[in-house]
Amino acid sequence: MLSRKLYLVNCLGFVLLLLLFPCLCGIVHAQRVVIDITKPSFERIPIAVPDFKYLTPDQTQLAREMGEALASDLDYSGIFRPLDPRGFLEDPQSMGVTDRDIKFPDWRKLGAEFLVRCAYTIQGSSLKLEARLFDVVGTRMVLGKVYEVEARNWRAVVHRFADEILMALTGDRGVFDTKIAFVQVQGKIKEIYVSDFDGSNPVAVTRDQGLNLSPAWSSDGAQLAYVSFKEGNAKIYVANVTDGSQRLLCGYPGINIAPAWKPGSRELAVTLSKGGNPDIYLVSSTGEVIQRLVQSWAINVSPSWSPEGRRLAYVSNETGNPQIYILDLSTGQKRRISFSGSYSTSPSWSPKGDWIAYNAVVGGHHNIMMVRPDGGDVRQMTHGEGDNESPTWSPDGRMIAFSSTRQGGSPAIWVLLTNGTGTRRLTHLGGGQELPDWSPRLSGR
Amino acid sequence: MKLSWRELGRVLLILVCVTSTFACAKKNIPSQPGFGPGGGGESGSGMGSRGGPGGLDEARWRELGINSEPEKREFLQKAEKFENTDVYFDYDSYVLSEPAKKILDDKIQFLKRYPAVKVSIEGHCDERGTNEYNLALGERRANSALQYLANSGVNQQKLGVVSYGEERPIASGHDEASMAKNRRDHFTLNY
Repeated sequence: MLSRKLYLVNCLGFVLLLLLFPCLCGIVHAQRVVIDITKPSFERIPIAVPDFKYLTPDQTQLAREMGEALASDLDYSGIFRPLDPRGFLEDPQSMGVTDRDIKFPDWRKLGAEFLVRCAYTIQGSSLKLEARLFDVVGTRMVLGKVYEVEARNWRAVVHRFADEILMALTGDRGVFDTKIAFVQVQGKIKEIYVSDFDGSNPVAVTRDQGLNLSPAWSSDGAQLAYVSFKEGNAKIYVANVTDGSQRLLCGYPGINIAPAWKPGSRELAVTLSKGGNPDIYLVSSTGEVIQRLVQSWAINVSPSWSPEGRRLAYVSNETGNPQIYILDLSTGQKRRISFSGSYSTSPSWSPKGDWIAYNAVVGGHHNIMMVRPDGGDVRQMTHGEGDNESPTWSPDGRMIAFSSTRQGGSPAIWVLLTNGTGTRRLTHLGGGQELPDWSPRLSGR
Repeated sequence: MKLSWRELGRVLLILVCVTSTFACAKKNIPSQPGFGPGGGGESGSGMGSRGGPGGLDEARWRELGINSEPEKREFLQKAEKFENTDVYFDYDSYVLSEPAKKILDDKIQFLKRYPAVKVSIEGHCDERGTNEYNLALGERRANSALQYLANSGVNQQKLGVVSYGEERPIASGHDEASMAKNRRDHFTLNY
């Protein structure tokens, strides 16, 4: 087996070996075609993703399922425009997989700039996938990978290769290994759920048929803080994502709400009213108060950390209605940054630190807004299609997920690209979905 | 988090199993889950948590200072009115209006006559705005009533506060009339 793998490496040259089973070890490919996706004139890149080629006659239906899943990931990224496979000229099961066999002029005629060509074999429960990305214009292979994994985990491998494609072409990984936590509303019951980045595979984290709110990922993605009324008042709990165990974090008199993990730390900013007023405190991983961060006569809620953990965006109503403020923790200075609506809440600091998303009432509806941390360059991202609330950033900072009532009265989770395109609905469950929180990248490297 | 795919798969499988169990279990949920300290009932459900006049033993009646059947009937009648009369607020406000103060004055009379009774004050908001801000606003509304009662000489030890924010609306409509009904303090008695 090993000698066969070595042979493959020698033979394909570019192909690097990534063994996902039994353990995770990989080598990052070096050669990149970095495309600048930040230019305003950027247009999605046409890419062809034919059905994968099966080299053994087992699980042949995966050929199409994997191809569609990869095309869906690439479409979701907002960078690619997958071409309709019905227009392809060659039968995907007879066409070749290496650059010598690819008919580049044909693909160029179809308008493709890139081509993904994958082939797989199944032996027992093991899936082996050879995956290649070709530059159709430059007629060369950009990326080649071999994955070996348990066949039932095929979707994870497809996400992984989609991530590699983004890395190779943009210099930044995708978000295909991330998850989104949200609140699932069913009548009076609100439970915390976690789904994949695209809304698939929703799984319940709480199952007490009570009132659970405000899920918040720890920066290592291992824990979810949330608010529950299971002991009467609103208290903050922490769920361990891997083993499902739950513990009380803050159960002080009054309300204990709005958990936000400090980046790279086990500490959290939370709102507690134990001192008589809803103020923002820094608490330890076991809930002890370290210090009071924001104190005033007003309501102070919904903290969101800057990525380096030195500033805090939050909501205060000290001018009479709720607005977004920024606290500089080193100087103690507070500054209001939202002026565009009478009611601005739910700040979310972008992972690169360059934007703060929030929602504001504009034109009678809640809309998603973006503003620079200095209060400049305000942008309205939604335009009165129902109420749009609770923005949360993808870890690459290119997308914002939020809840929206634009299709019927119950909210669902939606996502948009920060360039204003690519709006799509993620959740299709019954009931409603609200208060999304996007996880960090989970497969760490 | 460092996890092999195999481990991740196993965890997901377990979670999927648990979720499907949950999906089945969901069909049998009670329609009125109980919330709040001291066994306080669901908002607006009146005295449902104590199951009616037969619920108290004689010792407890004596602690409440009630010794005859007519006195019991009078107490229960007033208690029901107490719980069924909410105090309402303007949008994004926790200031007590004049009508709100009048309602609280009636409640003060009751609490002075029956000082052993405990009260849970629930603060509620309409659906507009965000859940977290509304949890804080609901607490402010409940505290406004608590402060008014305490300032009028009601024993603060007998008063408790809980905020449900926008999570427990009493009216389900999205019009202003429904939302006005939801911006309220609701009171449950414990005796």
